[in-house]
Amino acid sequence: MWRSALGRVHRTDLALSLTILALVGAGFYLSTTFEEVSPLFADTIQPEFFPRLLLWTIGILALLLPFEHAFRSKRGDSGLDEDRRVAVQPIAYVTFAAALVLVAAAEWLGTYLTLVAICFALPLLWGERRRVPLTAFALGFPTAVMVLFTQAFQIYFQPGVFGLSLN
Amino acid sequence: MEPILEGLGLAFSLYNMALVIAGVLIGVLFGALPGLSSPLAIALLLPFTIMLEPVSAICMMAALYCAGTFGGSITAILINAPGAPPAVATAFDGYPMARRGEAGRALGLAAVSSVTGGLLSLVVFIVATPLLAKVAVSFRPPEYFALTVFALSMLASISGRSSLRNLIAGAVGVLISTVGTHLGTGIERFTFGFHELTEGVEFVPVLIGLFAVSEMLVQSQTADMALERIKSVVVKLPSREDIRRVAGTVLRSSGIGTFIGILPAEGSTVAAIIGYNEAKRWSRRKHEFGTGVPEGIAGPEAANNAATGGAMVPTLALGIPGSGTTALILAALIAHGFRPGPYLIQETPEFIYAIFGAMAVGNVAFLVIGLVGAKLFARITLIPRTFLWPMVFGFSVIGAYSLSGSFFDVWVMLVAGAVGFIMRRHGFGAAPLVMGLILGRMLEETLSQSMIMYDNDWLRLLESPIVCGFFAMAVLGLTWPAIAARMAARRSRDPE
Repeated sequence: MWRSALGRVHRTDLALSLTILALVGAGFYLSTTFEEVSPLFADTIQPEFFPRLLLWTIGILALLLPFEHAFRSKRGDSGLDEDRRVAVQPIAYVTFAAALVLVAAAEWLGTYLTLVAICFALPLLWGERRRVPLTAFALGFPTAVMVLFTQAFQIYFQPGVFGLSLN
Repeated sequence: MEPILEGLGLAFSLYNMALVIAGVLIGVLFGALPGLSSPLAIALLLPFTIMLEPVSAICMMAALYCAGTFGGSITAILINAPGAPPAVATAFDGYPMARRGEAGRALGLAAVSSVTGGLLSLVVFIVATPLLAKVAVSFRPPEYFALTVFALSMLASISGRSSLRNLIAGAVGVLISTVGTHLGTGIERFTFGFHELTEGVEFVPVLIGLFAVSEMLVQSQTADMALERIKSVVVKLPSREDIRRVAGTVLRSSGIGTFIGILPAEGSTVAAIIGYNEAKRWSRRKHEFGTGVPEGIAGPEAANNAATGGAMVPTLALGIPGSGTTALILAALIAHGFRPGPYLIQETPEFIYAIFGAMAVGNVAFLVIGLVGAKLFARITLIPRTFLWPMVFGFSVIGAYSLSGSFFDVWVMLVAGAVGFIMRRHGFGAAPLVMGLILGRMLEETLSQSMIMYDNDWLRLLESPIVCGFFAMAVLGLTWPAIAARMAARRSRDPE
């Protein structure tokens, strides 16, 4: 009986469910660390009440996740795995890592140079090797955007350590 | 009469007309490009529209919303790559018709059906919104709480593969809305010591992250995929014979689309699929569907654009988004300092007439732009993705930053992007999370106010018949997917 019950469990969704439950647990723990409420507000709904209600809801729904696949397969509908059939390609991780690095460097580089770096690094990462279009794009697009937003919308952008901005 | 003239005057002012046309162009462009969509366009535009007059900003977004829905159909018909989810059903018959060498006819049918659906739904919008707002004025916190519960329950049946996952995403969105200072007691929740979070999580960076950054990560994996080249296309207005053939379908689908749009959380994608199915069900040539029949294009196109006018009804009258895109328009209204709902309509009635005017102009404009520029918009798909997505990311960074001139918002955007990417991979939609995020604060506030009214006695919520009605509809909303699946299974077992 146990074996048949386990056979119905979708392994990826089980891992997903456990991850959500762990996050729900962490959320619950955090809700115990909220400050004490003044006795003046003793009659109103307490600050931890609503988040906990939601955490309970999410937890209960997450418990159903591993069985959803089996339930839907019975109806001949198992499209849940469509988006995750193919493993995430390394380029997605690399792109996100590059985005993190570029944003981390943004305060130092300033907004304009960050945009230039984005427009140069991301196409390069994605396989663009034609030098002329790449250079034209990496310089032209950020310049056009910065001129537009600083002049038309009067937005102030950080110049960074090089003091380069079109403000 | 005065608010009508004032509102239409606002919509037809030169400045606002220019913004509406710009919105239409952006909408068709974003709709046409696979991966880009009207919610993404609105998320990217939102920070910059903060600098515009509220009415101008909302008019521009409303026009963009209409045009984006149609834009997706251009690539759906020409290259079988729906630019946006509502255009998926259009590709079923649009692409086969284009393959037969009748791409111009297919685009003409799509444009005219879309505009007809859009304009008919605007009539319902202008009549129903003030009426609904008048009813909603009598709503007290318990009724609003029940209405919000009902709206969230509808997440179970919106488009997406899994009702369960939509509900989880919606609940997570509501949970994120609890970050910040608790209004009743002033206690900070989930702020992790970041002073930027004391007033809660900003909508805009989250929206940009969920829609733009997560899509960029998805697209990074297909950067080298080449799209089919567009052959020469001359768009043709439908012939009299075609009009006669699809008139009934367009009217029926417009009604369906408007009704589905009015339902909280349901949007153009659901409307288009039902519009297609109904067109097929009522047709005498059912077996020809999928081979390029005009009804197969007119049905989903009229329905998905009719849903735009319908979706604006609960958004403006109740402050409850009628679709994923209107959730973003609602976020824009909130960002402009408005509290959407019946009081907005009562205090500034010219507002809805201005939006009505903008959407009407938007519909006509995208007909013209669609007919004249379909070939050009389709050619835009040839922009190398290696340049397109870095552009989108650049705009995302600028948009998130410029909101409050802080890189903290850019980090929020990146986190939201990573979360959105993981969620999409596992079948959780971004739209339910956005709905939860936007409705969350209202849900908690109205619950707290209701409990104060009823001395913390939950059962007293049921004293109001309106509350009972909304709760009953919520139960129906939650159970409907299971009921519908069972009915569909039974139908497929006994076809006769």
